[in-house]
Amino acid sequence: MTSALPGHDRPRRRVSSAVLIYVIILMALQVFLVTVAAEALLADEEGLAWATAAVSVALFAAAAAFLRYLRP
Amino acid sequence: MSNEPVPVAPPIWKRDFPYKAAEEEAVTRREFARYLVLGTGMLAAGNVGLAAWTQLRTINRGEPREIVAVADVPDRGTYLFRYPGDADPAVLLHLGGDEFVAFSQKCTHLGCVVYFEAEKNRWHCPCHEGNFAAETGDVLSGPPTRPLGKIDVEVRDGAVWALGRADHDEGAE
Repeated sequence: MTSALPGHDRPRRRVSSAVLIYVIILMALQVFLVTVAAEALLADEEGLAWATAAVSVALFAAAAAFLRYLRP
Repeated sequence: MSNEPVPVAPPIWKRDFPYKAAEEEAVTRREFARYLVLGTGMLAAGNVGLAAWTQLRTINRGEPREIVAVADVPDRGTYLFRYPGDADPAVLLHLGGDEFVAFSQKCTHLGCVVYFEAEKNRWHCPCHEGNFAAETGDVLSGPPTRPLGKIDVEVRDGAVWALGRADHDEGAE
């Protein structure tokens, strides 16, 4: 399939694949962070819960920023 | 004779069911990534919600009340009760004399019920082999990472009283 693409399209497709993989990894990290937040809730550890939320929001912002590199 | 293909009329079912499934499945990478980012945003919102819940929730630490008469619990014996609420299983351990300790019976790993192993002097969770120190509730081994929830107790007039759930950080060094 890739070989059928015009030469100038291959790098762009590679970039879009890389961005997609990054976003999937960020998604997996978010799921992990939800488990950490749930654990913090059960342990009544407010500091850990807010730190987890902050990292989670930062990951969301990073994922949203990556979208710019995908052509419409 | 022309070799051009003869146009074939679409089947009747296509007219009756005019949905283009193949095109619907053609989600672009950008759309797929957008869905993922949307999911990531929802998870982030969930995390913020959990943090707010952790901050705002109030924990019922219980009111002082009598549990059982001292004479009814033998040395190294246990007594099951409910504290602070009726849905909270707790267990009292008689260490000897007027010394008692009490803990929530829920394992801090996944909430199974722990029981006292007298011969090994520890609280044991049979679900995932978690073990806690008999006197302090600290983790000895197994998957739990937090100690058992401690309940402050004291002896008043020949009876054991529960005073309230101990603060989680109490005793932490």
